[in-house]
Amino acid sequence: MNATFAVVAKDLRLAWRDRAGWLTAGAFATISILIYSFAFDLATNDVRPLLPGVLWTTFLFAGVFAAGAGFQREAEEGTFDAMLLSPVSPTVIFLGKLISSLIALIAIEFALLIAATILFDEPLLTPELVAIVMLGTAGYASLTTLLGTLGSGPRTRAVLLPVMALPLLVPMLIAAVRATGGSLGIFGGDAPWTLLLAVFALWSTLTAIILFPLAVER
Amino acid sequence: MSDAAPLAIDTRALTRRYAGVDVVRDVTVRVPAGRKVALTGSNGAGKTTLLSLLSTLVQPTSGEAWIAGRSLGERSAALRRSLGVLRHSPMLYEALSPLENLEFFARLYHVPDAATRIEELLRLLGLWRRRHEPASILSRGTHQRLSIARALVHRPAVLLLDEPETGLDPEGIALLDELMLRAPGVTVLAATHRVDRIEAWADGVIRLDRGRVAEDTVSASVPHAGARA
Repeated sequence: MNATFAVVAKDLRLAWRDRAGWLTAGAFATISILIYSFAFDLATNDVRPLLPGVLWTTFLFAGVFAAGAGFQREAEEGTFDAMLLSPVSPTVIFLGKLISSLIALIAIEFALLIAATILFDEPLLTPELVAIVMLGTAGYASLTTLLGTLGSGPRTRAVLLPVMALPLLVPMLIAAVRATGGSLGIFGGDAPWTLLLAVFALWSTLTAIILFPLAVER
Repeated sequence: MSDAAPLAIDTRALTRRYAGVDVVRDVTVRVPAGRKVALTGSNGAGKTTLLSLLSTLVQPTSGEAWIAGRSLGERSAALRRSLGVLRHSPMLYEALSPLENLEFFARLYHVPDAATRIEELLRLLGLWRRRHEPASILSRGTHQRLSIARALVHRPAVLLLDEPETGLDPEGIALLDELMLRAPGVTVLAATHRVDRIEAWADGVIRLDRGRVAEDTVSASVPHAGARA
C-alpha cells in the first residue's frame, strides 16, 4: 500500500505542478457545458432530456484527453520505465495511477456538476447522481489508464487511446446516460442501468488490473 | 586467471529480435560478483538492448539470464531490488525537485532510513543546495548526477549503466568513478564509448559486434559448471 500511495501522491503533485494538461481538460469541459447551455436554451424550453448526454460526453472527452497527457509525460521522461525497474509490481503502479486519475477526474466532474447546476437550473448534486458519476468515472478511468500505456511511442499512444477507448466505452456510456436520466426523472427507473454501470465499472477495473502487467511487457 | 566469486551476471544464448533482426544474438557471458566490466561496441552493436534485457525492461526472444542467481524470467522484486540502472534518458520527473524525485524512488524501493540515505547522496553529488529546485532547470550534467543518485538510492549490488559519463564534467566523472564504477563490492556492467577511460575503472571488457559477443575478457576466467549462485 505504501508504494500505491507513493504513486498517488507523486501523480497528484505532478498534476498540480504541470497543471496545463488538466487545466486544458477542465477548460474544454467548462466551455462545452457553457456552449450546450446557451444552444439548448435557444432551441428548446426543456433542456432536462439532453442533460445526461451533455454531461457524459463532456466527462468522457475531458477524461480521455487528461489520461493521454499524463502517460505521454511519463513516457517522454522515461519515468514509467523507472517505475517498472523498481521492485513494485505493475499492478501496484496501475492502482496508484488509477486512484490519482480518479481523484483528479472527480474533482473536474464536481466542478462541472456545479457549473451545470447553475447554467441549466437543475439540481444535479444529488447523492444518487454523484454515485452514478463516480461509478462511470471508475469504469472509464480504468480503461483509459490501461490503454494509455499501449503503443511504442507518444504518437501511437495519442492515436490508440481514443480509437480503442471510445468503442469499448459505448456500453458504459449508454448505461451512464440512462442511469443519469433515470436519476433526473427523465427516463423512468434507473436501477437496472445503475446496476449495469456498476458491473461495467467492476469488469473494466478487474480487466485492467489483470491486463496491465501484460500491457507493459516488451 | 580463475575467478571463484559467485556470478552476478550469467547469460546463456540470450537473444532479442526486433522486426526479424537479431539485435542481440546468442550472448553468453559470465560476470563474477564485484567485477567492473566495460561493454563496448560501435553504434547499433546491441549494448543498450543487452542492458535493457538484463534490467528486465525487455523480454528476451530466447535464451536465459540470471542476476545474482535469480532468473530474469521470474522478474522478482528481489531481482529488481538488486539492480541499479542508468540509461540514456535520466528517468527523472522534471516537475519534481531532486529531493522529491529521490524520496519517491526511495519509497518504491522501501529504502530503510531513506532521509539519511538521500541526504548522503545529494551531498556527495553536490546537489544538496539545489535539492528544492525543479529538475527541469538543472543542467544536463546535474541531471546525470541526480540520475546517479536515483540509481544508487537503494544500494544495489549490480549496476547496469548506459554511457554513464554523458554530460558529466571532470568533477562529475570523478564522482561517477568513486560511487559507481570503482565502488567496492559492486558489480558493474557499463556500456561506454570512452575507450580512453576504460583502463581507469574496468577489469574486463565485453565487446559486441552486430549483436554477438566479439571479445570477452571476463567469462573466460570463470569456471563454467556450477558457478551460478
